[in-house]
Amino acid sequence: MTTPTVVRRAPTMRSSPAIGVAANVIFAISAMGASPQSDQLRSRLRDASVHFAFPASNRRDSRRERFRSLAQQWRSETQWFSSTRDIAMHPAYQAIIGMGAAALPMILEDLRQNSGHWYWALKAISNEDPVVPGDRGSIKKMRNAWLQWGETKGLVRA
Amino acid sequence: MMFEDLVRAIQPKFPQLTAANSRPTSPYDEGYNCIAWAADDTDRWWEPDPLFQQYWPPSVPREYTLDAFVRAYGLQGYIERCNATVEMGKQKVAIYTASSGKPTHAARQLPDGWWASKLGREIDIEHEFEALDGPMYGTVAVILARPAKQHSMSGK
Repeated sequence: MTTPTVVRRAPTMRSSPAIGVAANVIFAISAMGASPQSDQLRSRLRDASVHFAFPASNRRDSRRERFRSLAQQWRSETQWFSSTRDIAMHPAYQAIIGMGAAALPMILEDLRQNSGHWYWALKAISNEDPVVPGDRGSIKKMRNAWLQWGETKGLVRA
Repeated sequence: MMFEDLVRAIQPKFPQLTAANSRPTSPYDEGYNCIAWAADDTDRWWEPDPLFQQYWPPSVPREYTLDAFVRAYGLQGYIERCNATVEMGKQKVAIYTASSGKPTHAARQLPDGWWASKLGREIDIEHEFEALDGPMYGTVAVILARPAKQHSMSGK
């Protein structure tokens, strides 16, 4: 009978957050009267800890996930509304507007894939309106105008 | 989803709506709303929205009031105030308001006495007069009539 091989790995910041904390403490103590290089190292370590705890890729994913969830809630709870003002005042829609410019690519992508009354949010966030007055209310033309606007701004793929 | 299932699902919003007092007529279409549908326009969404994104007759105040909606339909020839009975030679639209007085919905009368409605950005249905009364659209506040087969006066 063979015994399973135990693979031992060296502890890292990722496997053991305590190491990161200890390193920070050491740098904090040594910072008193330490060299400029020590300060620089301490600053870099702090940045590394932040990036470790909150990776940029995760932040993007969670934002996208939040958008998807809010959009789904908004759609299902406003489907019988006849007023775009009521549709836009829904808390989930307002939360999406609250995401600011970061929401624009996701809104435009959703507009492209699923259509929907995103025009209020697009105008509120961008403070622009590419729809010519004669096309007001013509949903297909409004959709095309906004998608073209998004392509021009590099917010949605052509 | 079968229409009966849909009606059951939306019962809390439309408690008087049943599969017996309504029937579906066309599928989901977000290109127009009930206000446009009642005015025979299936190409545009009619609304006096404050961001000026939707169509609203230019000469009518851009506000969510019953008076503004009455004036908008007036431009389509619906001038005479009337009741819900079927009258030969007349077409009728009904404007619904919430308890606050804000217009919420409009329906157009059919020759058989039923009414044609667009439900939000969803389906079109035909229904009995009071079938849509409830928390979603409130009740009918005004019914307007015009001579039958009159063409639009909006210039569209």
